[in-house]
Amino acid sequence: MDCTVAGIAPSAAPQVDFALVGHPESWSAAADVFSALRGPEQTPLPDDEIRDILPWIPPRAVCRVAVKSIAAAEAHGLYIDSFIPPDRLDAGCVQENLTRVRAAAAYAIKAGARIVSLGGFSSILLEGKFDQLPPGRATVFTTGNTLTVAFIVQGIEKMCALQGRNLWQSTLLVVGATGDVGSGCVRCLAGKVRRVQLVARNVERLRRLAVELEGEGVEIEIGTDLAQFSEQADLAICAASLPSPSLLLDNIAADALVCDAGYPKNLSPDAETSRATVFFGGLGQITGGLTFDPDLRGILNHHPFPDVAHGCLLEGIALTLEGRFESFSRGRGAITPKLVEEIEMIAARHGIYLAPFFNGDGPLPLTMK
Amino acid sequence: MDALMEMQPLTESDFSDSPIWQDVLAQAVTGELVAAMNYEALAGICDDPEEAGQAWEHSAIERSHAVAFAAAGRNIGVDVVSNVDGRHWKRLREAFLRCVAERDIIGCLIVQEIMLESFALASYARVAIVAPGSLGKVFGAIAADEQEHADHAMAILKAERDADPERFDDKLHRLHLEVMTTLAAMLAKECKDGHCEVCQSSCVKPSLFEVNLSAALLRGASLQQYIKTLDALGLPGEVTLAWIAQLPV
Ligand SMILES: NC(=O)c1ccc[n+]([C@@H]2O[C@H](COP(=O)([O-])OP(=O)(O)OC[C@H]3O[C@@H](n4cnc5c(N)ncnc54)[C@H](OP(=O)(O)O)[C@@H]3O)[C@@H](O)[C@H]2O)c1
Repeated sequence: MDCTVAGIAPSAAPQVDFALVGHPESWSAAADVFSALRGPEQTPLPDDEIRDILPWIPPRAVCRVAVKSIAAAEAHGLYIDSFIPPDRLDAGCVQENLTRVRAAAAYAIKAGARIVSLGGFSSILLEGKFDQLPPGRATVFTTGNTLTVAFIVQGIEKMCALQGRNLWQSTLLVVGATGDVGSGCVRCLAGKVRRVQLVARNVERLRRLAVELEGEGVEIEIGTDLAQFSEQADLAICAASLPSPSLLLDNIAADALVCDAGYPKNLSPDAETSRATVFFGGLGQITGGLTFDPDLRGILNHHPFPDVAHGCLLEGIALTLEGRFESFSRGRGAITPKLVEEIEMIAARHGIYLAPFFNGDGPLPLTMK
Repeated sequence: MDALMEMQPLTESDFSDSPIWQDVLAQAVTGELVAAMNYEALAGICDDPEEAGQAWEHSAIERSHAVAFAAAGRNIGVDVVSNVDGRHWKRLREAFLRCVAERDIIGCLIVQEIMLESFALASYARVAIVAPGSLGKVFGAIAADEQEHADHAMAILKAERDADPERFDDKLHRLHLEVMTTLAAMLAKECKDGHCEVCQSSCVKPSLFEVNLSAALLRGASLQQYIKTLDALGLPGEVTLAWIAQLPV
């Protein structure tokens, strides 16, 4: 870090084109960031201390981010953490978490960001309603969910191709199907599979989505419970807004292909998926260049491959590199295959592609099934 | 403050938590006395008579806070014994006096107004919520009082930072390492370096839960107040976050 003793770059306030608003996925992820900030000469903070301190930290930038496009564009931004404690994502904490998201948004506005990507639960809490955010005349917000959907769909299609699975003959289960990400995935994939199984808790919303899909020539089943379905799915997308990894995903084909796109992850560590292929979805990789200051590369985005990040954050970066400062993804349930195609083209133009496949055990061997 | 002094003695005879409040009050009285001494020392290096007068005035206010806390102790039947030479307080006072020796008024304000007051204000506000009866009221009233004069100092410090952010932040960081490290040790969950020399017998921290407080809560609230103060001065959030992360626990 180019800095004085105070850790402050001596130049005037650096340029901020974009801001990425996130929150720690788990306590161990938070601990990694704290350890890096403490530096190698200090012992890492014990877990209980992190749990005690983190909830008191007001939303703020954790680091500066610089991105290069393969098309020679450059963008500078901030990663802003709202510091929502990882164990307080449940419905009981909505109001306090919304306050944090608003404060993070205000921070981004004050920093001069022209576009803000609302990662993970930030947009879920807002239900896509940006009018709940503080006004910033020069700042727009995007949920980033369209690029997330693009990477989930690309992941499913690529994995099917790699494993020799016949997408057209498949039964696709989508958990969290009525959500912004889930419904976007369903719209993109419904016409490419034989049957879709849509899962969420609210039946009325499931019915509405099923009606919307009529005419796609796909068999549709809806349910609040996996056990309700007539057959076992061989493809599954997990995109439910679960506060912790708790989805058991029983009742799917033993050798199914499963994309866990949740943040935090949807799949419970107890899920019986030993014969299934599970990959973490909705992730992309920046190939033109990515730097963090302080250098939290691989810590803030702790993945087995370099420069991988969540689609929701990458959308704001791609739009910045493209010079399109607009609320590309907003509201709920408005993601269409056309928008998905558009954002994936923008991302690809700047060298932001589907991330290599991995899951909690590490990189996935890309062998044919 | 007059209102505080006029408060009627309470007949809160059943204060089973008295030993805890006795130690909490001892820390508060000590902090106020250190603050009063700091302002007196500051007055001595102010060339401008008006500024010197204000520093004397602040010193008197801090002393009146100490008196009010001691009176609140008597109300619940405890004798509040302060110790400005207690291990941590002495170190904090020495840091302040080094700024005085350098005739560094801004350094003095940073130590007293940003660092010590952040801790006092946040801790008093938390104690006010849980302390019973008149005791809670005293803590609440003094927290409000501290807030009022912190605003005045903030205006001076903000103008100073705006004039030369790099120099200001550099100074702040040096003082942070000195003062905030001591304050963090003071509010750590355990006193690892031995007795603080202010608590009456054993360390009060493990008993704080009995009055719905904890060292972790007081530290969290204090750090939050401090970091918000730094935000208000315009320091970059990613820098102050690293400073907080690097503090001892
Ligand atoms: N990988 C990435 O880059 C990325 C990007 C953005 C979002 N995400 C993650 O994707 C997930 C969905 O985000 P979103 O924006 O689409 O959220 P959303 O619009 O709020 O939708 C959430 C969906 O999950 C369903 N759901 C919630 N709890 C459920 C439960 N217990 N069982 C079954 N279904 C449940 C909801 O329907 P009901 O309320 O009717 O149950 C809804 O269909 C979140 O985990 C989010 O963090 C990942």
